[in-house]
Amino acid sequence: MLVHHIRTALAVLFACWMTSCVKDVDLDQAGNITLQPEIQADLLIFEIDQKEFTEPKTNIFSNVIRDTVRLEFLDDSYIQNDLAKVEFSFRYRNSFPQSFANKISFLSEQDNLQHQVEFITEAGSMGNPSITEVIEVIETENIDVIKRSIKMVVEIEALTNDKPFLGILRFESKGLFSFQF
Amino acid sequence: MKFFVTLCSIFLMILCQGQNKQLLYNVNGLPQTLMENPGANIAFDRHIGVPFLSKISLLAGSSGVNIHDIFDNSNANINQRVANTIRRLSSRDYFMAQEQLEILSFGWKLNKDNYISTGIYQEMDAFAYFPKDPAILVSQGNKDYINIPFDFSHVSFTGEVLTVYHVGLNRKLNRQVTVGARIKMYSGIFNVESVNNTGTFLTISTPDGPNYYRQFADNLDVRVNTSGFASLQDNNKTVQEASRELIGRSFFGGNIGAGLDMGGTFRVKDNVVVSGSILDLGLMWQREDVESYTYKGTYQTDGIEPLFPGIGTDGETFRYWDEFEDEVDRNLVDKTLREPYVTWRPMKFNAAVEMTFGESYLPCDYRVEAKKQYHSKVGMHLFGIRRPRDIKYALSTYYDRKLGSNLRMKVSYTLDDFSYTNIGLLLSTNFKSFNFYLAADNLLGYANLAQSNYQSVQMGFQFIIIK
Repeated sequence: MLVHHIRTALAVLFACWMTSCVKDVDLDQAGNITLQPEIQADLLIFEIDQKEFTEPKTNIFSNVIRDTVRLEFLDDSYIQNDLAKVEFSFRYRNSFPQSFANKISFLSEQDNLQHQVEFITEAGSMGNPSITEVIEVIETENIDVIKRSIKMVVEIEALTNDKPFLGILRFESKGLFSFQF
Repeated sequence: MKFFVTLCSIFLMILCQGQNKQLLYNVNGLPQTLMENPGANIAFDRHIGVPFLSKISLLAGSSGVNIHDIFDNSNANINQRVANTIRRLSSRDYFMAQEQLEILSFGWKLNKDNYISTGIYQEMDAFAYFPKDPAILVSQGNKDYINIPFDFSHVSFTGEVLTVYHVGLNRKLNRQVTVGARIKMYSGIFNVESVNNTGTFLTISTPDGPNYYRQFADNLDVRVNTSGFASLQDNNKTVQEASRELIGRSFFGGNIGAGLDMGGTFRVKDNVVVSGSILDLGLMWQREDVESYTYKGTYQTDGIEPLFPGIGTDGETFRYWDEFEDEVDRNLVDKTLREPYVTWRPMKFNAAVEMTFGESYLPCDYRVEAKKQYHSKVGMHLFGIRRPRDIKYALSTYYDRKLGSNLRMKVSYTLDDFSYTNIGLLLSTNFKSFNFYLAADNLLGYANLAQSNYQSVQMGFQFIIIK
């Protein structure tokens, strides 16, 4: 009798194994899985004083200076294929008693302007530098302007006045890059 | 007393995790028990397995997540479930898969006390801890983890495919003690491992400058060793050539290793037996077709610093980015190496105590000196397996019952990392000397495999001769 029960159990075990099933799942959802990391990354920094506005060879004052940095990573496949949104943050700390007109431009390889941010940095003082912060969001519908860019140009124009041109201008910048892989 | 029981339960739940073949351990009528304990008590005189079918063992487990957790069809937001799962899992959670296929298996009694068993089997073993921090970094980024380090020591995994040639001796020293040992030669087919990694990636907020954040890669030392993969990446190789190479590796054409199993059984009292074994105490020398990838160093950055004016004498802009990349490459060195390495096999141990009861009444024959025999056993079995960061345990209790000479049943309940409701069943049946056995763990999981964290099955066909 017991042997009979065991043979039945063996059959049940086999049946259990053979009829085991995968229920209440939809494996087709695998195609909808996306990774959406948001990466905070530093971009450019600098700290300049009045000397940077004087041409060293000629000693001639120029109220506009600029520099260009290639951001080679903008050409990488993860940016080109998967970047969904960018939020740039730019912050100036100004102890000059003058204001500055700032222009941050994103250029393509052929130097075509793709995107530009313009703002004024308020005048400050040595003991109390002014802080100007600008946040520029490039939404998904405009993200191609960043994908087409490879250079970041920082241009600073000193808006001179009758006060001595003396101080320190600090620049901080970062990007919050949102991806959809 | 209640407190004591609760404490013991908590201790067992913490302790007991792992993956084992408790259903085949101490089954004295099956030759496979010698693979779990070469010093097991056995009750047969000769065996020969049906080639490729004497033992097929499949086992897969995930300690923290199952298919239903991710692909639940009652909720459409799969990305939220993936995010919740990553958040819930810890770096101690793990995934594993094992497969064993006996190619040849046979054994015979040399004399009254000695039994020799030998054979060849192929094995695959893959194990990975959940790389919690790298998974968060890849899936969520660092935005919500400012001032919180991402730990790369969470990356820890091993995988291997190999063929094992073995010969073992089981020796009955006296009525109380049986000991055994098995020598193994390993022939490696594939190996991959990344263990003992170190280093963190950290983004800290720097409100006092010089930038919004400072990013650190601190003491990074990540290494992935491989053997058997590099040559297969040759695009000019045909499928036939690749197959021939893989078969060649199974016959010591690739990397080799050696190991030892040891075990013993001690009859404490007439109906109380303790036993234990250590398996796969061995290593592999990975020398052929090896390739290792390393990423090492320390670096920190606040961003790229332009030097006004940005135009050089040649009218070109300064190559700030190239300089930045060069500096990163100097400090975080990425190398591909072709140097031998040694891997330890995942050593396992078993320990059990069992009590026999229920005397079997043999046909009365005054010419035969019959020993007292029992048809039932209850026991407790502790299994452990060494993994890169710790030992995984499983604790089982079992009831083993012989039903005449042709049928045997073993029921087990196992506490491990995968389930607290793991009920296993072994059924072994003989038709004359032909034996078939089937063992399956976590039977409740078969109702819906998607909600199961662990399943294992072992089955085989063989001839077992009892004189």
